[in-house]
This record gives sequence, C-alpha cells and structure tokens, in this order.
Amino acid sequence: MKISIESTTLANGLKVVIAPDTTAPVVTVGVYYKIGFRLEPQGRSGFAHLFEHMMFQGSANAPKMQHIKLINSSGGTLNGSTHYDVTNYFESVPSNALGRVLWLEADRMRALKVDDENLRNQRDVVKEEVRVNVLNQPYGGFPWLDLPPIAFRNWANAHNFYGDFADLDAASLADVQSFFKTYYAPNNAVLLILGDVKADEGLALARKYFGDIPAGAAPPFADPREPEQTEERRGEVEEKFGTLPAMAIGYTVPPRRTTDWCAMALLDQALHGGRAGRIYRHLVLEKQVAVEVDGGIEDIFGYNGPTQMVTKILHKPEFRSDATLAEFDSVIREVQQNGITQDELDQLKIKFRSDYYSTLEGGHGGMPRYGLMHLLACFSLFDNEPQLVNTVLDGFLAVKCEDIQGVAKKYLRNDKRAIVFRRLPNAQAQEAA
Amino acid sequence: MATRPAAEIPTAVPPLSAERQVTWPRRTRARLANGIEVVLAESHTIPKFHGELFLRSGNAAAIHRGTGLAEMTATVVRTGTVKRPSRQIEEDLRRLGADLSSHAGADNSAIGFAGLSELAEPLLQLVNELACEAAFPEAEFERERRQKLEEVKLDRTQPGFLAGERLRKVLFGAHPYAQVAPTEEQVAAYKRDDLFSVYRDFYTPENALLLMVGDFNSAAMLKIIEGVFGAWSGKKPTVQPSPEPPKPRGRRVHLVHVPGAVQAQILAGCHAITRKHPDWIKLSLTNSLYGGAFNSRLVMNIREDKGYTYSPRSSVNPLRQYGYFSISAAVRNDVVAASLTEMFYELDKLRALPVPEPELGDARNYVSGVFSLGLATQDGLLSQLATVALNELPDDYLETYREKVRALTPDDLLATARKYFDSANMQIVVVGDRTQIEPQAALFGDLDVYDAHGKRLG
Repeated sequence: MKISIESTTLANGLKVVIAPDTTAPVVTVGVYYKIGFRLEPQGRSGFAHLFEHMMFQGSANAPKMQHIKLINSSGGTLNGSTHYDVTNYFESVPSNALGRVLWLEADRMRALKVDDENLRNQRDVVKEEVRVNVLNQPYGGFPWLDLPPIAFRNWANAHNFYGDFADLDAASLADVQSFFKTYYAPNNAVLLILGDVKADEGLALARKYFGDIPAGAAPPFADPREPEQTEERRGEVEEKFGTLPAMAIGYTVPPRRTTDWCAMALLDQALHGGRAGRIYRHLVLEKQVAVEVDGGIEDIFGYNGPTQMVTKILHKPEFRSDATLAEFDSVIREVQQNGITQDELDQLKIKFRSDYYSTLEGGHGGMPRYGLMHLLACFSLFDNEPQLVNTVLDGFLAVKCEDIQGVAKKYLRNDKRAIVFRRLPNAQAQEAA
Repeated sequence: MATRPAAEIPTAVPPLSAERQVTWPRRTRARLANGIEVVLAESHTIPKFHGELFLRSGNAAAIHRGTGLAEMTATVVRTGTVKRPSRQIEEDLRRLGADLSSHAGADNSAIGFAGLSELAEPLLQLVNELACEAAFPEAEFERERRQKLEEVKLDRTQPGFLAGERLRKVLFGAHPYAQVAPTEEQVAAYKRDDLFSVYRDFYTPENALLLMVGDFNSAAMLKIIEGVFGAWSGKKPTVQPSPEPPKPRGRRVHLVHVPGAVQAQILAGCHAITRKHPDWIKLSLTNSLYGGAFNSRLVMNIREDKGYTYSPRSSVNPLRQYGYFSISAAVRNDVVAASLTEMFYELDKLRALPVPEPELGDARNYVSGVFSLGLATQDGLLSQLATVALNELPDDYLETYREKVRALTPDDLLATARKYFDSANMQIVVVGDRTQIEPQAALFGDLDVYDAHGKRLG
C-alpha cells in the first residue's frame, strides 16, 4: 500500500502536506502546531489544553461561534485535541467547502481574537471536562494523570496535563496572547489536506490563504530529557468510586526511530495484543487474578519526548496487590528468559501491519483519514519527513526474535519502571490484616 | 489583540464551490439457500475488509430466560468451538491480522470482524465456526461469568451508565427494553445450558444477516461466502410478545444518589419513534438543530454562552420496536436547576416558534453533509449498510436521504417538535450527590430517589 504525498514548505515556514484520494467527495484538513502539554509554561498546568479551547472562540474575521457554524453548515465536523507534543485542529467536510475551511484555519493562525469573557467561559467548560473525565469518574485519570508524577523528575513530563484548578484560574488573557505569539506561528506548524483534492490545487489554495501570514521567531522549547533512572518508583492514588483495586506499571521506551524502538513495539504487541497478549492471557484467562488488563505504547508515532509502555490492571479484591504484581512479573521474566518463537513473531508482524492500515484509514470517531493525517503531521514536525508513512513499517517488519528478547532484558527492568497503585479507601487496612 | 500584521487579509467567507456528486457504491445482495441474507459493498481504501454477522435476536428476545443472557452468550461464543480451544482462536486471529468482537444489544447479537483482504477466507471460516460450532466450554463459561460479576459492579459506579439505566426503566417499565444490564444476582444465576439454548435458537442462518465492506471483488467474495457458510442450518426463532411500555404523564424527577459525586449527570427523555417511522428524517433534523450538533441551540446556550457543561447533547435513540428522545449534560452541582431551565426553554421554543430559514438551511446542510462522510471509510460504510438492512429500509435509502433532508421546511420542524419533543411529560434523571442537588432537582417535578443499585431511598 502506497500513499501518494506532495509536500512543501512555504516562505513563512509553514509546512504543507497534501495526500490526494478521490474515493469519496470528502476532504479532511488538519493544522498541527508543535506544542503540546509537555512543554506548556510552568505554573500554568493545563494551559496548552485550555488554549486549544480558546482557538474556537474567535479570530479576526470569524467571531465567536462563526468557525463552528461555518463548518457545520458546510456539512462537516470539526474538533481539536491536545497531545504531549502537538496540538491539532481538524475538519472533515464535503470537498466543495475546502476553500472555506482553509480560510478559517488561516484566519485563526493569523489573528486569534478573544476576550476575558471567552476565557472565563472556556475555563468553566474545561473544569466540567475535567470533572466528567477525571474527578467524577471511576478510575478517572488512571493512569495517564497518575503515573507521570511518579515516573518522571522533569516538570515537563511529570506535571498535571489537564491542569490544577488553581493554575487554570490563574491563566490570563495575557498568557493566551503570549502563548499564541510564541507557538502558533506558521513556522511551528504543518497544514494537511487529505482526500478529494488535486495536489496542485491544494498547494495553490494553501499559498493563497496561508502564504502571507508572517513568520514568528523560532519558538523556545524547554529540554524534556529525564535524568537517568536508577531505582524502581512507586506511588499511590486513592480510588474514590471504583469497586476494584488497580495498578499500572510503566517502563520508559527506547528513543523513537531506533532499532530498539521497533523491537519494543512488537514486544508491546506480544504483551498487550488483545486476548492473545501474554499479560491478558496469564492474568485474566489463566490465573484469573485480574478482571481487566490492557495498555501498551499509546500513539507510538505521535510523541517526541520521554514516554512509557504502560500496563493497566484492574484485579479482584481477594488478591493482594503484591500477589498480582508477582503474576505480572512472571510474564516479564518469561519473555526475558525465553524470548519468543518465530511463529509468535510472524503473528505479531501480520497484526502490526494490519493495524497500521487501519490507523491510516480512520481512527477518530469515524473521521476519515484522521490516522493518516496524524502520522503525516508528526513525521513532518518531528522528522521533517512525511514520506515516512510509506516506509516506517519496514523497520517493524525487520525485527528478529533475538531483538525482542534483547529489548525485554534491556528496558523491562525494575529499576527502569514506575508503578502506581489505585487503592480503594479501606484497602490499606485490608492489606495490613 | 494577538494579531500578526499583514499586507492584505482576505476578510470575506469564501463561498462553497460546486458540489461533487455523492455516489454510493453498488451493493451486491443475496440470500443463500440456507436463508442467510448477504449484503456486500466494495471499498478499496486499504487492503482490508470489515464485516458483521448479525443475528436478529438480542437481550430483549432472551429476557424470559435471563436478563443480559444474549450478551453473555455472545461473550462465551468466542471462547471455544468444537475444533479450536480459546487460545487457538485468539492466536489464529492474530495470525490473520484480524480483530473480532462478539456482543449483543437489545435487538441483535453480532460477531464483528475486520482483517486483511489476502486472508479473508480463513477469517470467514473462523466466523462460521463461531456461528454454528461454538462449544461453550464449562471452564470458559465459569471464568466469563465471574468476570461479568465484577463488570456489573463496575458499571454501577459510572454516572453515565446509571443515568441511562434509570431512564430506560422509567420509559419501558415491564417491557424488556427496561433492562440494560443484569444485577449481580442475575449473573450469579446464569447457567451454561441457558447460554447454549440461546445460542441454538438465535444463531441460525434464517436469523442471520452478513454484511461486508472492503477491498474485494463482490462476485468472488459471494462465492467464498457460499462455500464457507453453506452448511450452516437452522430455523428462525419464534418471537414472544412483550408487554406495552408505560406512558409516563407529567414531568417526574428520578434522582440516583451517588455520595461524593462532584458533578451532576442529567439525562431527560421521552418516547419517540423507530428508524422505520416516516417521520424519522424530520426528527433527526429537528434533533440536530436542538442539541445534535456542535452548532446547535443547546450547545450554544449551556456550553458556549453559560459554561455549565463540557458535553451537552441530545439524541434520538431507535430500538426495533420503540424509540426515544433524550437530552444529556454533565453539569456542575450548583447549576442543575439552571441547566434544566435552559434545556426546557430551548425545547419549548422549538415547539412554539418556527425555525428561521437560514438556521434551518445550515442544519439541513449539516445533516446531509455528515451523512456522506460515512462513504470514506470501510467501517463508516458498513454502519450505513447495517442501518438500512437491519431496519428493512428501502434499497435507495442512501441515495435519496440527502434530497429528503433538503426538502424539509420550517413548518415540518415545528410540527415534528410539537409531536415528539414531549416537554410536558419529560422524565428527568439526575445522577449525583443528593445533598448537593436534591432541592434544585425537585423544582422540576415529583421526585423519587434511588441508590446505585435501584433501591428506593426515602
């Protein structure tokens, strides 16, 4: 499978990637900015995400609600999302609305126009988002908000990405303006147009709408690297609503686009790949210690700094957490000692390839080509190489059995991992008994 | 403001260019000699295919044998056949690059699957085995039953689940649609033989609908399907009549008490219509305008204007025999009354005043535009085909949907809102901490309070 891609960089530094495909009269547009919650300002936890909301609050020629109204009334859907290292804004529309979508994205890249009232409103909305997803949910924030402060020492990797409410309250309109000016410049972004568009027309439209947006200064980025970890790290969080104790174990993964990284991705598949995955098979199907097991390296192509392969386990209350962890450890020890067979590796590669195709086709609430957009954007911003979507699979398909055992020994070490325990309110007393 | 100066800024909204015609792929329909209905459509976006084998009986049809029994049956179906034990099934799926899920809703049971085109036939063989040769191994059943016990306990800690469960009980009473999940006691009473009898009755070719969308040649795929599924046999199950649902009169508030909740989950609803009803498209459009889209009145009001909530929405929920309309929002505790006030204000406004033509035009474009986004992915197309086939809609439903939406007028919407947005009889469920929200909720009707397990509290 080969994706046809055209890419260029405009004079103002904006990267443009076009992937034409006329299967359906539908076009997906994305604008990715190379800033996520990892490198948001200290003292402003949650700001990158709050700012993402502000990008829907109005720009110079499209006042509040105009952006959303114009996309919906063109027959399209839209959204945005904040990740570790990127923030994205995207629309899928019938292709006759392409010019309009590009105009809207260009208008807010050129001139965000928001006021204090908009900020107050979206601060309230974001707090309800945090309540509905974290504070009022069983296992809310488990483990994506629980684990980083235990696993990491650098504030960039370790802070509360959804934001402490005090920090959200402290965010001001001046912060919004400064963040926009620093990070939301064309030279820190990539524009993607996928679907029903001809490459030359897409490029011409990109130039027409985005070409005269002035470049900004090269944005400063804090150093996200971590000091060498030399001891296992553990922490606890109280589970307020759930009925089962839980734990999550995270191992830091090798740097992206290395041989070890490819091997680690297949090891991840061996450990976490559904009901055939070794951890699910051992803890849920065979030992019947756990009720739910899943995890892995989330969004493996979409991060650009320290990240972990995380296993999430909800276990039966009659098993103590140390007994549950011992069962998990036996799975890790088994793969370290005996590796995997060629037959298992062959299965893993076929599944990995099949999953990769599905990622390219969809992947976000039925939004066509979301996954392809995401990969093209990350390969452009992190690697300056969008064509990687056509070659990146090769590295994974070249992994050998001994590579898998090698990374299992090298990276799945207790002194390289972090564990968070979600305890039920009365569980400590139980465990002591 | 945060502006980058520029020489010349285009300030006018670009007009829409000429629309490209939406062409739905040709469907290949067949009924095999043993009764399976087959619908195939080609989509060559990726070298894969997506499929779903539906059995037209679900938890409602199994209710007299046990609550949630069709779902439990679907869960255990994948844990062993007469030819393959559980572990081999899972490893074979991986070897085929495939994903598979088996589940049951109120009206249907289904085995969903996706895999690589080059390995289609062996995946279909496995699906066929699950459909006609599942073995229900005793040990697998017992493990899944104990898993289910923990899952139903977990479900009752989720505000969204509790709200949905309570609304279904209120709207459907003695009808099977009232039961969305079993209790712990009901799960404890499941027997392997009960599952097997559900399987024997429901999983038959006369009760089956096989849909596939993907990168294949339809004629060749149909031949493969005939070869793989041809030997399966069995009759259509008999359908037992169900009691009529109640018709709740007057607004009533049903509070589900969750101590310590820091937010209130509101879910209000009333009876509406099924997917087959001639008013369905009118109601879809009216719902989209009320709270079914980002650019809708409800979202504009309680999110973008007032900031009460992150994710307000309204939906029309079609089941096979009945449908219902619902409005939901998770709001902060001190604005429960304010949020309900605005929900009813917007509802009553749509019942009282015609929608201005420009707003209606926008909503028509939205509903007809997003409908065709489903064309662009294999699973999007599959879900459109499933809607048509399961609801026995006319063959040209996909092709004519947009025209029908575009023909609707302000008078149509006014009549639809008056008929189906039953403001005076809405049933209001609120899930939250009663000490924080009860006085506000009680302003909207007589109040009943329950705990998370459905027990009435004083």
